[in-house]
Amino acid sequence: MAPAADEAKSGNGGQIQRPFTFNEIVLRNRLTALVVDGDNFCRLLQQGILQAYGLQTQTVDNGDAAVELIASGAKFDLILIDMLLPILDGLEATRRIRAMGVNCKMLGVTAFSGERERQAFLAAGVDLFVEKPLGPEVLIPILRELDGQYPSI
Amino acid sequence: MNQMAIAALKNQYKSFVQSMFDEGVLDNQFSQLQDLQDSSNPNFVDEVITLFCNDAERIITEMNRYLNYQNVDFSKLDSHVHQLKGSSSSIGAHRLKLACVNLRQASYERNKEECVEAFNSIRHEYCLLRSKFQFLMQIERRIVALENNQQ
Repeated sequence: MAPAADEAKSGNGGQIQRPFTFNEIVLRNRLTALVVDGDNFCRLLQQGILQAYGLQTQTVDNGDAAVELIASGAKFDLILIDMLLPILDGLEATRRIRAMGVNCKMLGVTAFSGERERQAFLAAGVDLFVEKPLGPEVLIPILRELDGQYPSI
Repeated sequence: MNQMAIAALKNQYKSFVQSMFDEGVLDNQFSQLQDLQDSSNPNFVDEVITLFCNDAERIITEMNRYLNYQNVDFSKLDSHVHQLKGSSSSIGAHRLKLACVNLRQASYERNKEECVEAFNSIRHEYCLLRSKFQFLMQIERRIVALENNQQ
């Protein structure tokens, strides 16, 4: 069932309808996730959100560390990766991770909003391009899919 | 007596958050984060706000430094604004995010005067947000103190 359109309108006192809320899902399996974000706040917030769902979550703050972690054999069900990263950017890090044969779900979560950036991130290998913030309407269907509850829409 | 005080404070908290939504200071993302706070994670919102403010102040200080140079490094300025835009979006700081979008545009046009104006707007929105967050956290701490007294 497609979620109803979110009618939250900031600034005019409109009613907020929330088709999904962050606490609406219970996972049956222990999923693992990696958050790759150079911004301290965003990295820890995304980790906090995933941990609230029960995902075992690691974080790194640059693309090179992400590639090295995966090259060392670490496996994840889900990777959230930002585009603008120090040392090795998110595009190249994603390419290298995919080149290693990693097929897990990868979300490109970025403050960029342009079509050019979207196409570049998808071409690099992410499954989904998400403009920050990462909200439950995006995350919950993906977690359900990974948990084997039902395919995401 | 405590029950009435707690109820009154909770109403005050809820009304104040709603006013922040009504003014466009916060958007739906903040209420999503509030949903994550529960008995297993009782200080989640407080921690998120504290982390955000520490991060934002560091970024704003850096942006101020770059804008004070005679020759502004627009590329470095832009990367900081981009970062603040991302964290503002992530906490639901709607007006602050919009102010970041304006500064990114001015930075892209390499217009120092407009950058300074846009930066002042960012600083204003951040100070407003921070003072409102501080008020919210004060109410929350009073609620927690009263609830602990009851137990």
